[in-house]
Amino acid sequence: MADTARLSVRDIRKSFGAHEVLRGISLEARDGDVISVLGASGSGKSTFLRCINLLEIADTGEIWVDGEQIRMAQKGGRNHPASQRQVDHIRSELGMVFQSFNLWSHMTILQNVIEGPVHVLKRPRAACVEEAHALLKKVGIADKADSYPAHLSGGQQQRAAIARALAMKPKVMLFDEPTSALDPELVGEVLRVMRALAEEGMTMLVVTHEMSFARNVSNRVIFMKEGQIESSGAPEAMFGAGASPAFRQFFGHFGG
Amino acid sequence: MSTLELLGFGSTGWGALLLAGAGITLAVTAAALAIGAVLGAIVAAAKLSGSVVARALGSAYTTVFRGIPELLIIYLIYFGGSSAVTAIGQAMGYEGFLGLPSFIAGALAVGIISGSYQAEVFRGAYLAVAKGELEAASAIGMNRALRFRRIIMPQVMRYALPGMGNVWQLSLKDSALISVTGLAELMRTSQVAAGSTRQYFLFFVVGGALYLVLTSLSDQVFDRAERRANRSMPSAMGQV
Amino acid sequence: MDFDFLSSTMVTLIKALPVTLALFALSVSIGCVLALLILWMRVGGNRYLSAFAKAYVFVFRGSPLLIQMFLVFYGLAQFSFIRNGPLWPLLREPFVCAVLSLALCTAGYSAEIFRGGLRSVPPREIEAARSIGMSGFLLVRRIIAPIALRYALPAYSTEVVLMMKSTSLASLVTVWEVTGVAQRLISHSYRTMEVFLCAAAIYLVLNFIVLQAMALLEYSLSRHLRAPRQRARPEA
Repeated sequence: MADTARLSVRDIRKSFGAHEVLRGISLEARDGDVISVLGASGSGKSTFLRCINLLEIADTGEIWVDGEQIRMAQKGGRNHPASQRQVDHIRSELGMVFQSFNLWSHMTILQNVIEGPVHVLKRPRAACVEEAHALLKKVGIADKADSYPAHLSGGQQQRAAIARALAMKPKVMLFDEPTSALDPELVGEVLRVMRALAEEGMTMLVVTHEMSFARNVSNRVIFMKEGQIESSGAPEAMFGAGASPAFRQFFGHFGG
Repeated sequence: MSTLELLGFGSTGWGALLLAGAGITLAVTAAALAIGAVLGAIVAAAKLSGSVVARALGSAYTTVFRGIPELLIIYLIYFGGSSAVTAIGQAMGYEGFLGLPSFIAGALAVGIISGSYQAEVFRGAYLAVAKGELEAASAIGMNRALRFRRIIMPQVMRYALPGMGNVWQLSLKDSALISVTGLAELMRTSQVAAGSTRQYFLFFVVGGALYLVLTSLSDQVFDRAERRANRSMPSAMGQV
Repeated sequence: MDFDFLSSTMVTLIKALPVTLALFALSVSIGCVLALLILWMRVGGNRYLSAFAKAYVFVFRGSPLLIQMFLVFYGLAQFSFIRNGPLWPLLREPFVCAVLSLALCTAGYSAEIFRGGLRSVPPREIEAARSIGMSGFLLVRRIIAPIALRYALPAYSTEVVLMMKSTSLASLVTVWEVTGVAQRLISHSYRTMEVFLCAAAIYLVLNFIVLQAMALLEYSLSRHLRAPRQRARPEA
C-alpha cells in the first residue's frame, strides 16, 4: 500500500518531556485526498502535522512521502533524521502553510514566492517569475507582487503564503490552522483558494477549525483526541449518523 | 595673530592639519569598526551557540571589554604591543626599541572594544528574526547555509542598523583616546595646536566643533540607511 | 607570574582607589542633579530654555569627553577673569576640573535617558491622576517621576557604569587615580601585562559592585511587575 499512497504515516509517537502528545498516529493519503484533521487544542493535531515535515521529530514511527521513506537514526538515544539532505529534499516536496503566514518580511511578495524555486530547486529565475505571477493571479493578489508582506491584510498574506508553497510544486500540501489567525471576514477568501486547490486534485492535509471546509470540501475527516485518532471517516458519516459520541460533542460546540 | 590666521590654511594656519586630523579620525574609526565587526560576529555566534564553554567565553569577552576603561586597553595594546614587536625584532637580530604603529594599535584597541558592543548588537538582531520565518524556510526545503544567507543575514543586517549607528558614534568618540599614542588624529592635532600657540580654548572648541560635525553627519547617514532598510516595514499608510 | 610584583602593584593601585571613587561619586551625583535641571529646561515649555537644553545635550553627547576635559582644564585657565575670579582656587585644581567635566558630560547623557523615561510614562496613567484632581508638583512627585524612573533605570545603569570607566580620563589631566598610576607603573617597569591585569581586575570588581547595586534598585522598584507571593492560606 505504501507505494501507491502520496503520504503514509505509521505509528507516530511524540512526547515533550513527560507529556505524551502523540500516542501512535497512523494515516494514509492517496493522490487527491483532502483530509481534515479536527480536534480540541492540546489534542496534538499541529504537532502531528509538524512531525510530517520534520519541524518536530517524532520519537518513533515511519513516514513515507511518495514511496520514499524518511530515514531515521538513533543519535544520543534520540530519534534523528539520518540525512539532512533527504530532509531538505522531502520538505521541498511537501508544501506547508502556517497559521501565522510566516512570509519573509524583508522580501516582496514576488520575491517570497520565487525564493524556493530559485534557491532550493535551482530553476531558472525568469521561468520562476513567470510562474509566480500566474500563481499570484490564481490566488487573487496579482497586483500585490511588488508589495511587502507588512502592507497586506491577513487574508492576502495567507494567500501569498499558499502561492509560495504552491510554487514548489509539492506532492502534498500541509495546512496548519490556516485561517485561525484571520479576522472572520477574511477567512472566506482563503477557504475559497483552498477549495479551488482541492478541486484541482491536490493532496491536502488540513488541520482546521472550519467545520464547513471539513464537511463540504474534504473527502475524509479525522478527529483527534488526546494524541490519538478517535474516529475517522467520510464527512457524510462523521457529521451524520456515524458520528462517535466524542466527536458529536466536539462539533456541537461549533453549532454543527 | 588673528583667529582667522590661526585657523586658516596659510603657513601659520592649522586649518589643513585639523582637517587632516579629522580624516585620520574617520580612518582609524572605520578600521576599528571593521575589526570589531569580525570579532563581534564571532563572539555573538559564541554567545548564541549551544556550547556552554563558548557561551561562557563570549560572556567573558563582552564583560571584560565593556567593563575596563578604554584608556587602559589602549595602553595595553600600545605598550604591550610595542614590547611584543620589540621582542620579535630582537629575536630577528634588531637591537633597540620598535614601536607598534599607533594607527594599528589604536584601531586594534578600539576595535576590540567595539567588538564587544557589536556582539550584543548582532546577538539582539539575530534573536529578533522571527522564528516563524525561519520555519517557513525550513519547510520549503532550504538547508542551513541557504537559510543563513537568504533569511538570517539580510534581516540581521536590518535589525542591527540602529545599534551599529550607536557603536559607530561610540567608537568615533573613543578614537580621541588614541591621541595618547601620538597618532595625529583630530584630538592630538587640536592638542598640539593648542599647546604650541597657547590658544587652548580656541583649538579645543574648534576640535570639539569638528567632532560635532563628524557625529552629526554620521547621524544623518545612519538615519537615511535605516529609512531605506525599513521600507519593508509597516507604515501608517499601508495598513489595512 | 611574579607574585611579588603583582602584589606590590595591587597595593600601589589600591592606594589610588579613593581618588577614583571620589571622582565617580561626585560626578555621578552632581551630574544627576544637573541632568534633572537640563530635563526641566527641555520639557518646561519655555522656547529658549528648551533650545538651550537641546543644544547642551547635542554638544556633550556629540563630542569626546577628553576634549571637554581639556577644554575645562586648559581652556578656562586662559581667561584672566577666571584666573582672578573667586572660584579660581577651586578651578585650578585638576581634581575639580575633572569632576566638573565628568559631571557636565554625564548630565548630557543622563538628561536624554531621563527624557526617554518620561516619554515612556503611559498617558492614560497621567490622565487617571489628573481626573482625581492631581496636578503640578504633586502629580510629578507621586505619579510621573516614579514611573519615569522605573523606565529609565536600565539605561541609567549603563550610564553609571560608563561613568566609572570615564574617571580614567582624569589621569590625562594629572589626577592620580587608578589608571594614571597604572600607566606610570607600566612606563617605569615595562611590565605591561601584569600591571594591566591588576588594574583591569580592580575596575571589573568596581563595575560588578555598581551593577549589583543598580540591579538591586531595579528589583526593589519592580515589585508590581512580579507574580504575587504565594499565600499559605487558600484564597477566600
